[in-house]
Parts: sequence; C-alpha cells; structure tokens
Amino acid sequence: MTGSDTDQQLVQRAQRGELRAFDLLVLKYQGRIAALVSRYISDPGEVEDVTQEAFIKAYKALPKFRGDSAFYTWLYRIAANAAKNYLVARGRRPTGEASVEDIESFEHSGLVSEVSTPEAVVMGEELAAVVESALEELPDELRAALTLREFEGLSYDDIAEVLGCPVGTVRSRIFRAREAIDSRVREQLEGSLGIR
Amino acid sequence: MKTRDDDLEALSALMDGETQELELRRLLGSIDTDPALRERWRRQQMISDIMSKRPLTHPDMDVSGRVSDALSAKSSVSRNPIWSVAVAASVTLAVVMGGQQLLLPTGTPSAPFAVSEVGGAVVPIGGAQPVQASLDAQPLQISSQRSVLDNRRSAEAAATYERLATDRYRKLSVRHSAESASAHPSPFIPQARVAEFIDEASSEE
Repeated sequence: MTGSDTDQQLVQRAQRGELRAFDLLVLKYQGRIAALVSRYISDPGEVEDVTQEAFIKAYKALPKFRGDSAFYTWLYRIAANAAKNYLVARGRRPTGEASVEDIESFEHSGLVSEVSTPEAVVMGEELAAVVESALEELPDELRAALTLREFEGLSYDDIAEVLGCPVGTVRSRIFRAREAIDSRVREQLEGSLGIR
Repeated sequence: MKTRDDDLEALSALMDGETQELELRRLLGSIDTDPALRERWRRQQMISDIMSKRPLTHPDMDVSGRVSDALSAKSSVSRNPIWSVAVAASVTLAVVMGGQQLLLPTGTPSAPFAVSEVGGAVVPIGGAQPVQASLDAQPLQISSQRSVLDNRRSAEAAATYERLATDRYRKLSVRHSAESASAHPSPFIPQARVAEFIDEASSEE
C-alpha cells in the first residue's frame, strides 16, 4: 500500500459525503497546492483565497472523479485552472504555465524562495533542520523503519522482510519514530507561530 | 479497548495507506471528537513534505477550516428538509397572492381599466394603465355595456382561478405534511393537519 492508497480510501469516503475524509485530504495537500498557486500569484492573501477556492471546486467535482489519474494530479489541474481563472477575472495575464510534469519538477527544484515570503523561507528552513536533527537522534531500529518508508517508499510488508520483524512491529516503530519527530516539530511551531 | 495511542498509530498507518476500512472508520470518528488528532495529521503531512524535500512555501497557511466551514454550510443548506418545505410554501404563497393580484381590478371599478382591441375582441389587461399612442389621441373609452360584460367575465375568471389556486394549495399542503412527517426524527408524530379551507364554490351549491 502507498500514499495513493490513502488518497483512494479518503476520496471514496469523501465521494459519499464524509466531509471529515475530505478535510484530511485538504490538510494533506494544502501546502503543495499553495506552492503551485504561488507560481501564478504572488500575493500571499490571494494565494490563500485561490487555494481555498480550488479545494471547494475539487469537492464539488468529486462525483466526476473516476480515479483514472492520481487524485493529486487531478487536484493540481483544478488548482492551476483556478489560479488562471482568478487572474483572467481580474484582467491580469497568467505569468506562468504549469503542467503536471512542471509541478512535480518544481516540487524538487528548490525554487521555494521565488514564491515564498522571507519569513516563510526562514520558517521552512528551521523546520527542516528540526526534522533532520530529530531523525538523527532516533534509535537505529526506528530510524531504519521510517527511512525505508519515507525515502524508499517500501510497504510495511516489504520493510518487515528487510528488517526481519513482524509487520506489526514495523507499524509500531514507524509510529514511534513519527511521534518523536512530531514532538520536536510541535515545539518549534509553538515557539515560532504559537500553533498548538 | 481502543486507546488514544491506538488512534495515533492508526493515523500514522493512514499516512502510508496501511489502514483497513474498519480502522479508518473508527479513526475518522475519533478525529471528530479529538481535534488534536487532526492537528497531528497536519503536522505529519508537513514533516513528510520536509523529508521528501517538497517546498514549504506557506508553512503557516491553513485553509482547511475555511474550506470545511464553506462545505458544511453548503451541505446543511442542501440537506435541511426545512428548506424544501420553505420553498414549497413560497410557491404556494406565490400562487395564492398572484391570483389575488389578478383579481384586484374587479374590486376597484373606479380605476381606469386598460383594454386591448385585437380583431374586435376585447382583452382586459388586469392592473395595467392605458397608454396613449400619441399626444393628441383621447384615452380609449369603454362603453358601459362592455364594462358590465368585462366585469362578468372577469368575475368568472376570478372564480375559476381561485378554485385552481385552492386545489393546488391543498395538494401541496398534503404533500408537505407527508414529507414533514417522514423527515421528522420521531416516526410517531402524526402528520400536521392541513388547514381547512372553505370551498365557496361547493358551499354555495
């Protein structure tokens, strides 16, 4: 199973009208969608509005989503169109075109400083440093399980085979690894934003 | 017995698509009652983005609350049975009021009654004022005989219209009662009684 299986599970429930399932999808993808919208629109307030609008449009269009493409690819197209329409409605020309391939390459291109505020860049760098530090401090068995999952994309079954332990143990180790990292990130967020 | 740690572990497994349907259903129920689980999910996604080297362009932005509010409002409006009853009641009111408006000219004989002569036929236009075609022309005068004829026809049309409106109102009222009773949480509440209307046409017979 993969993250797209997660999407499929949540999408199916959202299609049946479970708003909580869609809420989890929003929480999962809002950062990436905001990054995409930022390629068209620079004002942070407008980025927030268009990102919100994109998710509302996506929810309304969910009954038409057949799963022919990945959910995030479908969502990205809706967000890109929402951003372009937003600019056209205000008599502004879209400054860029972003295909799905462009978006995926953008995600790993390190162009974040071009579309973020200086504060956001600093905050992102601080969070990245916290995550890296917390990962290094993890016990070996926890770090190995989480690394195989996050970096290699292995399923729990595959990780269990690699590490030679039951699947339940893999699940528990990954959970505890995330728990340890989360506590550090939460402290950082509470310190910088007052977020709990 | 399910503990909070079980929920947190299930949340971690959901990140990886490793939850079963039953577990997911329980987890979604828990998130409804424990907002901290939702915040945990958000942070986990952020951590996953960082580990995957995805850009955090707006780490402080959270539109989920606004999206959720907008969708909840839309959902409650479209699912609330009160709205369907209200819409149906509005239609009924419009029918009755519309009928009464059409009948107004017969009740105000002193007001000039606009007519249109087409091929010799006289067609009353209720509630309208005569319009002069030119500055020199006189307003169209209606003979007293024709006015009597018009008034009689108008009264017949009024009676017919009122009967139609009453019939329609009765049908809609019965339908409202039935739907209201079926939509009510308690199945034992009897249907709302439809208001009685005096059928003037039948009572006169």
